[in-house]
Amino acid sequence: MKKVEFGRSAASQQVAFRGRDSVKHFQIRHGEAPPSHRPPEQRVTDEIVTPAAAALLGDDMPGLRPRFAVAPGDRVKRGEVLFTDRRHPEIAYVAPLSGVVTEAAFGPRRTLSICEVTAYADNATGSEGAPPGAAAEASPRSTLLARGFWPAFRSRPFGWTPGPEAVPDAIVVNAVHAMPQNPDPAVVLAERLGAFHRGIALLGRLTGGPVFLCQSPGQPLGPDDDRVVHASFSGTCAAGLAGTQIDRLCPVAGGGEVWSIGYQDVAAIGHYFETGSYDPHRVVAISGPAADRPRLLRTPLGARLGDLGATDGRRALCGDPRDGRVGMYLGRDDLQVMLVDGALAGRAGAAAAPRRGGRPAPLVPTRALETALAVDVLAVPLLRALSVGDTDAARRTGCLALVEEDVAALSRRCTSGADYGALLRRALEDLRTDAA
Amino acid sequence: MIERLLHRGVGAVTLLQIGALVLPVAVVAGTAPPAFGGLLAATAITALTWEAVFSALRGYPMSYHGISTALIVAILLPAEAPLWHVAIVLSLGVVLGELIFGGRGFGFASPAAVTLALMLISFPQSTLGTPTEGLALATLPGAALLLAFGLIPWRVVLAVFLAAFAAMALGGQEIDPMAVGVALAFGVTFVICDPVAAAATPPGQWFYGALCGGLIVLFSPPGVPVPEALVFAALLGSVFAPLIDHLVVLAHARRRRRRHV
Repeated sequence: MKKVEFGRSAASQQVAFRGRDSVKHFQIRHGEAPPSHRPPEQRVTDEIVTPAAAALLGDDMPGLRPRFAVAPGDRVKRGEVLFTDRRHPEIAYVAPLSGVVTEAAFGPRRTLSICEVTAYADNATGSEGAPPGAAAEASPRSTLLARGFWPAFRSRPFGWTPGPEAVPDAIVVNAVHAMPQNPDPAVVLAERLGAFHRGIALLGRLTGGPVFLCQSPGQPLGPDDDRVVHASFSGTCAAGLAGTQIDRLCPVAGGGEVWSIGYQDVAAIGHYFETGSYDPHRVVAISGPAADRPRLLRTPLGARLGDLGATDGRRALCGDPRDGRVGMYLGRDDLQVMLVDGALAGRAGAAAAPRRGGRPAPLVPTRALETALAVDVLAVPLLRALSVGDTDAARRTGCLALVEEDVAALSRRCTSGADYGALLRRALEDLRTDAA
Repeated sequence: MIERLLHRGVGAVTLLQIGALVLPVAVVAGTAPPAFGGLLAATAITALTWEAVFSALRGYPMSYHGISTALIVAILLPAEAPLWHVAIVLSLGVVLGELIFGGRGFGFASPAAVTLALMLISFPQSTLGTPTEGLALATLPGAALLLAFGLIPWRVVLAVFLAAFAAMALGGQEIDPMAVGVALAFGVTFVICDPVAAAATPPGQWFYGALCGGLIVLFSPPGVPVPEALVFAALLGSVFAPLIDHLVVLAHARRRRRRHV
C-alpha cells in the first residue's frame, strides 16, 4: 500500500491579502442553487428554547470511541464532561444542558451511539467558573480540549476531529450565508462581535498559519488583525461549504492540514474565555416547505427536535432541505431544522425507497455531475473510484480534501442513486488506516 | 427539472435518447424503401430479446436502452441489408458492447458502434447508408435537446468537427463544411457522443473528440467523411477514452500538488 503523503505546509503559500481592507472575493458557479422555500425572518431574540432533552450523537463523530465519565442516572451541569475520546483522553465532550443522563450507549465496535441528557426543570444553572485567565488565553489549547470545544473543529484531510497535538497550517472560519434558509451570520453575530473577535484571536494561537474568515460580501465580520485573512464567497450553496472555501484558500489535497470551524462555535469559544461559562446554544432556523412561520431560534446543541415547540406536529428533519436527515436530535453542525409533511425528499427519501432490483443503477456521465462540485476535483473519475471501492484511485482524484457534505450534490444528481457520502467515508477510513 | 429527471435514474436518460431519435427515424422511414420497416423490426426485436434474456438471467430490470441501439443501427444500415446479417451482428453488438458488462452504463463502448463495426468486418461486401441532408436536419432538434440536458458532451461535438476540419486542411483536402456537417451530424450525436463511450473528464473530452475527428478523416477517402470511417473512429476512440481519462486524472493530481507547494 502506498503511504499517503502529508506534512507539506500550506502556510508556506504567500497570502497577499491580509487584514480587513483587502477582502478577496470568490464567486462560486458550480454547485446547487438554494432551495426555493420561504427563508426565515432574520431576527434573533435572547429567548432560549430549552428542549426536554439533548444528545450527543455518534453519527456526528464517525469512528469516535468514547470513555464515559458519567452513567445513566448521574446529574450533570451544562458544560460538564460526559465522556472523553478513548484514543485521545484529552478531548472532552461536554453536556449541552444541565440535567440527568438518561442514556449512554455504545454502537458497533465500541463507538458512540448516543449520550442523552434530560433537562432539569431549572436548566439555567451551568457549571460556572471564573474566566480562564491570561495564561490560558495565551495558550488556549488545553482549555479548548478540556472544555468541550475541540469537537467543533473538523480537520482536512479526512474530516475528523483533529488530534489534540495537531497543528494546522491554517484555520478556516465558515461564516458564509449561502443558503437564505440558514441563519444569517451577520445577524447572529451582531450582538456577539466581541466574543467572536476574541474567539478568532484564540484560534490564531493554535496555528502558525493564517486564520481565514470566510463570509458573504458585506461588512467585514472579523477583527482588524494581521493574522486574520478575510475572504468573501457568494454564488451557489457550495459557497457555504468549508470544503469549497478551503479549496480556494488553502487546498489540502496535495498535503498539509487545515481545520474548519463554524462561526457560532468561534463565538462560543470567545464567550467562554470572556465569562468562564460554557455556552452550548446555537441559533438555528426553523424552515422547510411545511413551516408556517419560518424563524430563528436559540437552542442547545443536540436539542431534541420534537421539543422545540416549533414543529407544530410536523415531521422535523435536521440539515438542509434536500439533504435532511430523519433524526430525533439536532446534528452537531446543523443550522436548519426543516419541517415537511408527507413524502420525504433528499437523503431521507432515498433511504426510505430501496433501489429496485437490489443493485446500484449505472453511472452515466452527464454535465450535471461536472457542475455539481465546486472544488478542484474531477467528478466522474471520483465517483467511479468510489463506487468500485478503489481508494487509491479515489486519492488520486483528490478525495482527501472532501467530506460527506461536499459530495452530497453528486449523490442527488447521479443516475446511480448511490450514497457517495458513505462511500467517501469508507475510502477516507481506508486511507487513514494506510497512513497510520 | 434536469435534476429531477436524472434523479429518477438512468431510465430518464434512455428515454430522452430515444426521444431524440424519433425524428431521424421518421425522416429515414419517410424516404426509405418499404424494406426499412423490416429492418427496424429486426433490430428492435433482436436488441430487446437479448436485453430481456440478460435481464432474466441476472435478475435486474430492463433498461430498454436496446431500443436506442436498435434505432441507431437501423438508421445507419442500408434498408436492403440482409436481415440475418443484421440479427447476428446486432446480437453480438449489444451483448459484447454492453450486456456482458452488466448492461447500460457499465460497458466502455457504444453498442451501436460495435454492431456496425462487426457488420463491416464480418460481411465485407456490406456498406452503410449515406446520411442525407434530411437526416442531418432531423438530427439537430434531438442533438439540441441532448446538449441542453447535458446528456452528450458539448466539448466532444466541438472537438470532433474542429479536428476533422483541421485534419482535412492538413491533408490539403478541399473543405465543404456543409457536406462534412451532413455526413457527421447523426453519427457524432448518437455514436461518438455516447456518454458511456466518451471520455468523462472535461479535458479528456477535448482529446477524445479530437482523436475521433482526426481518425474519421484518416479513415475516409479524400473529400467527404464516410460513415464507415466514423464507426471505426468511434470504436477506437472509446477504446482510448479510459486511458485519456486516466492521464487527465494523473495530470490533474500533479497540477494540484504543484498548486499547493
